[in-house]
Amino acid sequence: MHISDGVLPISVTVGGYIAGAALVAWSAGRTHSEELPKLAVVTAAFFVASLVHVPFGPTSVHLIVPGLTGALLGPPAFLSIGLGLLLQSFLFQFGGLTALGANALMMGLPALACGWFFQRYKGRTQLRQAIVGGLSGSLGTALAAIILAIFLFTGGEDFFGVAKIALLAHVPVILIEGVVSAFTIGFLVRVKPVLLQPSFTRPRKVAHG
Amino acid sequence: MKGIQRRIWVGVLWVCLALFPGSLPAQTPPKDGSPDVIALLKEQNSKLSDDLRRIQREIAALRADFDKPGLREVFSGIGYIFGLFGVAAFAAARRKE
Repeated sequence: MHISDGVLPISVTVGGYIAGAALVAWSAGRTHSEELPKLAVVTAAFFVASLVHVPFGPTSVHLIVPGLTGALLGPPAFLSIGLGLLLQSFLFQFGGLTALGANALMMGLPALACGWFFQRYKGRTQLRQAIVGGLSGSLGTALAAIILAIFLFTGGEDFFGVAKIALLAHVPVILIEGVVSAFTIGFLVRVKPVLLQPSFTRPRKVAHG
Repeated sequence: MKGIQRRIWVGVLWVCLALFPGSLPAQTPPKDGSPDVIALLKEQNSKLSDDLRRIQREIAALRADFDKPGLREVFSGIGYIFGLFGVAAFAAARRKE
């Protein structure tokens, strides 16, 4: 799910870049410096995840994981996804460089929404955190498909037709991503629960070592 | 007698011409008339076209592989990410002092 060069009208491309840059700046401002190592690791995971092909029936789909990134990072997720997409477009030729702003919005806004959703509803128990994590993983991909449809609509396509196709094509990804996110978050809850407390809810006072 | 001899010579000449580029190991053609020679040629022909098809398939697979990002791209990307965040952490640490 990457938008290529030349699909979007110029105004949308420029607007995407401006909105993307603003969100990156906001996201960088919300990043605490002690979170940088975690941010780096999650960004690397997001960058590589698109190469993980999961066999699904006769075909195979690849992960996108905006939801999981958002759930793990919170507000810095947009910065992380922007950087990940930039490198993906440089090194893997995924998505065009001119459409980078739109692509960052397409993946980053769902990540922010999922980060908020996860922190809001994660509750206390391990099982509930895993389930909410899985839901936010699915939600991230579904939202990204809807935003893709909105962008393609500005490119002159029929919105509901594209939205239907985009959602249908991503049903396997949505399911698999939900399962992967649920397992990842379920694992992290047991092993390192501190990772799941991004700065949406983090208390300001942090002890420095 | 003379007719048979001439036919053999023509057959041998034909085989030599057909094999002239000589990619296959030279096989001595049987010297007893054209039907065998034609059968041999047909067999070699089909073997060659099989080989050709296999090579074309391999080229297509290679071309598809070239489009896919390899291990080098993956590791360079991870290196970029860690490096950039390392620089960011360094700058943040400097600012805090």
